[in-house]
Amino acid sequence: MRRARVRWALISAARPTARTDGLGARAGRELTQVLGQRKLFQKALPGAMHAFIFWGFLVLFPTIVEAMLAIVNPDWTLPILGHAAWFAFLVDLFATMVAVGVGIAFYIRKVQKPDRFRGSHMGEADRILLTILSIVTTLLLWNATQIALGTFSHPSAAPVANALSNLFGTGQPTEALERVFVWAHILIVLAFLTYLPKSKHLHIITAAPNVFFAKNGPSGYLAPEHIDLEGSEEDMRFGVATAQDLSKKQLLDLFSCTECGRCQEVCPAWATGKPLSPKLLIMDLRDHVAGIDPAAMAAGTIELQPLVPSAVTDEVVWDCVTCGACVRECPVDIEHVDTIVDLRRNLVMAESRFPTEAGAMLRGVEGPNENPWGQPAASRTDWIGEIPVRVLQPGEQAPEYLFWVGCAGAFDDRAKQTTQSVARLLNAAGIEWAVLGPRERCTGDPARRMGHEYLFQMLAEQNVATFAEAGVQKIVATCAHCFNTLANEYPDYGANLEVVHHTELLSHLIAEKRLLTTPGADGTVTYHDACYLGRHNGNFDAPRDVLGATGLSATEMERARERSFCCGAGGARMWMEEGGDARINDTRFAEAAGTGADTVAVACPYCFVMLDDAAKAAGSEMRVADVATLLAEATLSESGT
Amino acid sequence: MGAIWVFAEISPDGPHPAALELLTKARAIGDDVAAVALGPGATAAAPELGAHGATTVYASDEPVFADQPGRAAAHTLRALIETHAPSLILFAGTYDARDVAGRVQALTGSTLMANATDVESPTRARTEIFGGTKYVDVDLAGPEPRLVLVRPRSFPAEHSGGTATVVSVDAVVPDGAAATVIERHAEVAGGPKLEEANVVIAGGRGLGGPDPFAMLDDLAAAIGGAAVGASRAAVDAGWVPYSYQVGQTGKTVKPEVYIAAGISGALQHVVGMKGAKRIVAINKDADAPILRIADLGVVGDLFQIVPALTEEVRKRASS
Repeated sequence: MRRARVRWALISAARPTARTDGLGARAGRELTQVLGQRKLFQKALPGAMHAFIFWGFLVLFPTIVEAMLAIVNPDWTLPILGHAAWFAFLVDLFATMVAVGVGIAFYIRKVQKPDRFRGSHMGEADRILLTILSIVTTLLLWNATQIALGTFSHPSAAPVANALSNLFGTGQPTEALERVFVWAHILIVLAFLTYLPKSKHLHIITAAPNVFFAKNGPSGYLAPEHIDLEGSEEDMRFGVATAQDLSKKQLLDLFSCTECGRCQEVCPAWATGKPLSPKLLIMDLRDHVAGIDPAAMAAGTIELQPLVPSAVTDEVVWDCVTCGACVRECPVDIEHVDTIVDLRRNLVMAESRFPTEAGAMLRGVEGPNENPWGQPAASRTDWIGEIPVRVLQPGEQAPEYLFWVGCAGAFDDRAKQTTQSVARLLNAAGIEWAVLGPRERCTGDPARRMGHEYLFQMLAEQNVATFAEAGVQKIVATCAHCFNTLANEYPDYGANLEVVHHTELLSHLIAEKRLLTTPGADGTVTYHDACYLGRHNGNFDAPRDVLGATGLSATEMERARERSFCCGAGGARMWMEEGGDARINDTRFAEAAGTGADTVAVACPYCFVMLDDAAKAAGSEMRVADVATLLAEATLSESGT
Repeated sequence: MGAIWVFAEISPDGPHPAALELLTKARAIGDDVAAVALGPGATAAAPELGAHGATTVYASDEPVFADQPGRAAAHTLRALIETHAPSLILFAGTYDARDVAGRVQALTGSTLMANATDVESPTRARTEIFGGTKYVDVDLAGPEPRLVLVRPRSFPAEHSGGTATVVSVDAVVPDGAAATVIERHAEVAGGPKLEEANVVIAGGRGLGGPDPFAMLDDLAAAIGGAAVGASRAAVDAGWVPYSYQVGQTGKTVKPEVYIAAGISGALQHVVGMKGAKRIVAINKDADAPILRIADLGVVGDLFQIVPALTEEVRKRASS
């Protein structure tokens, strides 16, 4: 019990997480995700395994009380339930299901041996599973001896126990065995409860609250860490340095992990041979935190070691592409990405410790031109050429849409094609729109994902002021990262905007017949979901609808939609060198090429650059193009405006 | 107010450039400026130190300062401090001077401020945070002399036209264990550094493999004073090491002439070389973005053009 107290003391002393809004959504998750086991069923067999055991124990809970009563007096039982045939049936059925569940678990672990368990504590899992098995086995045997002795009220309602009762006679030995089984049942349950707090099986207590306190709304949203340089030093926080800086939810995350490794299996960094595994990250942080005496921490009598590099290495923290695949996969809603960004915040803002090569990006974003490449701000309109485009001048009021071009869309040759295509399509649809031109600056997203919260905050405040001054109400963005930041994160800085991604707007314009399309394009296409459009913001259909309007024949990659595999550029990885056995963009491109399609369609300039680089490195003929460019080619005539 | 001192690193080749920068700054803070130069070459460096503002140079040419880095200088400096009581000592933020400054602080118990970008007065210095977006002015308290480590290249070095009196100093080397230099390895420079070369020849994906980089080495050798670089694509492919990489996540170069062979000119690369005075691009694709920023664009096969260019350079050099 001491260990339970230690964990409780750690969590209750931690920084609070404001996660009590949207109670309906939170309650809903308890129903679908905890009771309904929704995320566990993302894998059929392991899902069934877990559901059998979980549902089994929900039903079997009263039988533990029943057995405790029976220990005191064999004639005592629960009122109503103790004499109900239907309950006897349920107990018999679910106890058997638990046993089957344990069997499946051993089949998965010992026969299938999926790689996701690499690094997990396998022996501990075996002990837990065997304990579960012995709990239900002793229960069934207890019921069987009761049937043999004629003290069980509805033998025919419990077919398994009934069948087992044939093993036993009616005499003295069976009476003794009945006592042995019921005592064994209770002792194993009690032993399990004392073992629980120090084991990963603690999730049976922590998982439900962890799911309850999970993030509502888009997973791409990061909570701000307001930095006020004029404020008091004590209120100043630069991310997470030591265990003391972790929030309640972050600690609950650590104690909810069962090491199932679903996150590890989908992690692009792990898949390409980097040291980062979201599972190992959580385990390493947990083991570090569990070794701390909370009383000494509160009293300040121990010197806390920095989590990086004491618990996890710098490399692990920088390997993350923030794609969110781990978070989406996690059955208990652990938020790995937010913790990684919090660790980065400390490394960047307090320690100035980050991969050197990313410094150029930070300087560019900070610098006079306020873009990651440090390109002259005046050249933000170079893409325009002959296209009729309104550049909003200071003092002018914005038309219906502000087209947020983004730095990549303004400076990168490939992304510029997308910008031009979108501009032509907006003109063709008769939309009233304008761009900010040289007054646009980086949204701050790459700085924020790097952990430079202060730089992000400055850019956000400045951009929001520009929007307010020009009366901007609606924004269309081609960059999935800009889109996520503007839509989900700028409201924290006072923006009140309707933000759409260009694929959403185009799909809407097609549906409204404001963009007339002739699906005449030939060829095959496969669409690569951008993490910050798809998984983080739930937009899977609009880009596919737009492609549907081109006439191209679409084929899907194995990892698509919610389970799309990152291009490798997110989390400011675009600005860092990549180690490991393979490159993430090459891995993803190989998957796209494997579909046999002629073209891989993208909806984000980062994906465009990464996959196009991979195509060139592979010497492939496969084309990489934005959804908008494919639509423009299929729709607009050569002379199109 | 006592004197302002500059710990001037010297070598037989002369004073470290940062020492001259610090002397220039010291003149602006106080009238009584001295330099401390310890090790072989110290006396010879005194005139140049004087020309940048030192009125006194405490000098010792003893080899012990080179043989026992940090330790000998720190103890000698302490003895000088006890005799002359300066108010402030400026150190450059180099490896050796940081070592000395830390030791002096431990020996004297005075105040040491690191990573300064400006020094306003003997009691106030400035540093930068948040990647240079904010300044912090720091008041220096504690016993004199206060010690400040200044980032190199924070100030220009300017001549004062003055001359210095050289005061010869005895080396103070305490007994006891000391780390001594037993061997020196000079880095064998294979041509000039990428960032410093007047001509950079860079290869990209168009080279098709590691071997054609020898072709670029030949051209660099023919030109003389040229360095070979690469685009990220060539580095990612494993053809040349990361140290060759020019671009956003590699090195930034500003040579007189940049020759891009088989490089398409993606933004990631261009940001690292757009500061070149003249850009020559050789590419088989007439639509390659690099040709738009090139002063001279050659559309053709680099495997013919580069060797021919090397041949021509050699011919002209020998004639």
